[in-house]
Parts: sequence; C-alpha cells; structure tokens
Amino acid sequence: MIIKIDGKECTAQKGEYLLSIARRNGIEIPTLCHSDALPGIGSCRLCIVEVVEKGRSRVVTSCIFPVMGEIEVLTNSKKIRNMRKTLLMLYLARVPENEKIKKLAEEYGAVVPERFSADKSEDCILCGLCVKACESLGSSAISTVNRGVTKKVSTPYDEPSKECIGCGSCAYVCPTNAMKIKEKDGIRTIWNKDFKLIKCEKCGEYFATKEQIEYINKKKGFNLEDEMLCDKCKKKKAGERLKEVFEDYRE
Amino acid sequence: MIEIKDIIEKYPREKRYTLAMLQDVQKQFNYIPRQALMMISEYVDTPLSSLYSMATFYKALSLKPKGKYIIKVCDGTACHIRSSMVLIDEIYNILKIRIGETTEDGMFSLETVNCLGSCAIAPVMVVNDKYYGKVTPAMVREIIKEYGGEKNE
Ligand code: SF4
Ligand code: FES
Repeated sequence: MIIKIDGKECTAQKGEYLLSIARRNGIEIPTLCHSDALPGIGSCRLCIVEVVEKGRSRVVTSCIFPVMGEIEVLTNSKKIRNMRKTLLMLYLARVPENEKIKKLAEEYGAVVPERFSADKSEDCILCGLCVKACESLGSSAISTVNRGVTKKVSTPYDEPSKECIGCGSCAYVCPTNAMKIKEKDGIRTIWNKDFKLIKCEKCGEYFATKEQIEYINKKKGFNLEDEMLCDKCKKKKAGERLKEVFEDYRE
Repeated sequence: MIEIKDIIEKYPREKRYTLAMLQDVQKQFNYIPRQALMMISEYVDTPLSSLYSMATFYKALSLKPKGKYIIKVCDGTACHIRSSMVLIDEIYNILKIRIGETTEDGMFSLETVNCLGSCAIAPVMVVNDKYYGKVTPAMVREIIKEYGGEKNE
C-alpha cells in the first residue's frame, strides 16, 4: 500500500507504525520516548503528526499509530509545530538545563514563561523509557513512583534493589541522559548500588557486571563464563572463524 | 488476628487481583506493610517495583501507617471558596497534623479530597465514612472531640 508523507509517496505494510515508515523513507520526526528495540509507550507526544483521511485531519502519535489505510500525513505542519512548541515549553520548564531539550526547544522557538520555576539539576522528563528497558532487558528493578508533581523513577523504597543487575540499559535508552552511572576502578555504581565489572579476556576492557553475566546465564540457560569477551572481541572472533571456514572451503 | 497471608490467599494467584489484595491489606492494617508487598510480589509473580509503583500511585493506598480515623477535608472549588483551608488550619491547631500526616498516637490522619459531590453543604469534612456539612472551625473542635481527640491540648 502507498501512503503519502509530506507529499512523498511511501510504501507501507498494513499495521506498520507510521514513525518507522517515515524514518525508513528519510523523513525525520522528532521523538523522545521511542526506542527501536522496545515496544512503544507513546508518552512524550513529540512524535505527533497530522493524518488526513477522507478530507478530515486529526493528530496522532506516530510512534504507536499503525497504518491501516491509504492516508496522507503531514509531519511538520504549522499546527503540529505549534503543538510541539507547547510540549517543549513544558519539558524545558521541567528540565531547564538539559542539553537535548534545550536544543529541541530552540528549534521550535519554545521559551519558558517566567512563572515556572524548576529544579535546575533535573534532567528526567518522566517518559518512562528506562522503566520499559529495565522490564524488557534488565530485571524490573525500577518503576515510576508516586504521581503528579512528586512522580519520579526509582527503585522500591529508594533502596539499592535486590533485582538490579547493573546492566545500565536504563541509562542507555534515556533520551535526556538523565541517569547517572559512575564507573571507577572496575566498579560501576548505579541506583545506589555498586557492581564489580568484568574484564574482557582478550582486550582487557571492562564490559559487563558479574550480576549481568550470572543473570544471562540463568535466563538463557547457557554458560557465558567459558568465554568472557566483550562485544567487539566477540564479533572479531566470529569474523575470524568465518574467515577460517571460508578459507577451508576454498582450499 | 488476620494475617497478611490470609488476605492474599483469598485470591487466585493472578496478576489482575493485585489491586484488590492491596486494598484489603490497606483496610486491615491501615497501611501496606513492606512484608505484604513482598508476599504479594511472590504470590502473583510480579516484580516488587511494579507493586511499589502501584502502592505509591493510588491515594487509597499508603506505605505509612494511617490513623484510626481519617479526616478528609474537601478542597474542591466550592469548599475552597467556602474556606476549607481555615478548617485545615484549625485541625492543625488541635491535632498538630498537616495534610498527609498522622498524629503520633496513630488516631488521626488528615487528607484533602478534590470534590465529594456535596457542594451544596460546603465546606464538607468526612471522618472515616461520616459526612459533616457547613463545617465551621468551632464545629471541627466538636467533631474531633467525638472521636476522642483534643486530649493533647
Ligand atoms: S530517566 Fe530518562 S528514560 Fe527514564 S523516565 Fe527519565 S527521561 Fe525517561
Ligand atoms: S516518541 Fe511517540 S510519544 Fe514519544
């Protein structure tokens, strides 16, 4: 099926999410709470676009909008830009010093009215992506806590969590770089808990926590301890093996 | 004495009963003890973090022990205009607790609600399930007395 995005004809499969169709076709839509690796949560609303169908236009969240028919899409109309501007004004009011939000706000001309005051050290926009990542890739150690103005992301009782394996997925996906991970002398500190880091047997770089490896072993039922290699060395090794096989084959 | 285990095990081991369990625990103990949260987590095989999220989200659930009598002062528009804040000040004068707090003897907790649907008799105050309408500061004193408060004056 063919849909039109900003005048460009794009092929799409029924049920495909609008955002991924647009991106595949080189049309940029700003997002905060989206990660290709995780199911959409649709919380930040920055990816809103206008969908015109049967002469009527409506605003949808493109990251979680499955395309079902031949629609026309406007990703950067005046209406959408204005709505994004309002959103960014609110985000900027919450995280006034955050680089990512500052840049986006500038792009959309969003300024915070003076009556809003905020904690200057705050970087979290409460999108919830880290919680999703922890749920899917980690061990469900964190969640959103409280609601309204006191809402935050934390571990139960704000204590070091028994479940946390220190994988850092939460920090990795965070769009605003709000999560602080400290790494020093082979110790990673995250969510008030210290983790011993393990070195890659080949290149000697720290690449995972002990808990992380134990967790993967348990979950996937295999033994990673046989081969403690970081991703880079693993790829290299696989490449070498492939080369060997290939050369054997040629001989 | 009813124990946490008895409350939880009344329900099938399914996630969708989590909130009901939490409500029952809250009713029995006037708060959600840590132990209960951990037991439910195990019973329905749900991460502790999700339960903690739930317990801190709903106003009806509390992680800290609540008083035997819960005073709710309505602070919806009608009650607000009719000086609900004066009632809250008066409660502070008598019981020395502010919104969200509980007296040291564990007798009273103070909360505000956004509308009780009784705007005609604003300002409204509720103690456990009993409603009081057109409340004045003087009445607050009388009402608290009814429940055995004001001793600490
Ligand atoms: S820490 Fe980052 S990922 Fe998590 S809710 Fe805040 S902004 Fe989103
Ligand atoms: S990216 Fe779509 S709502 Fe955040």
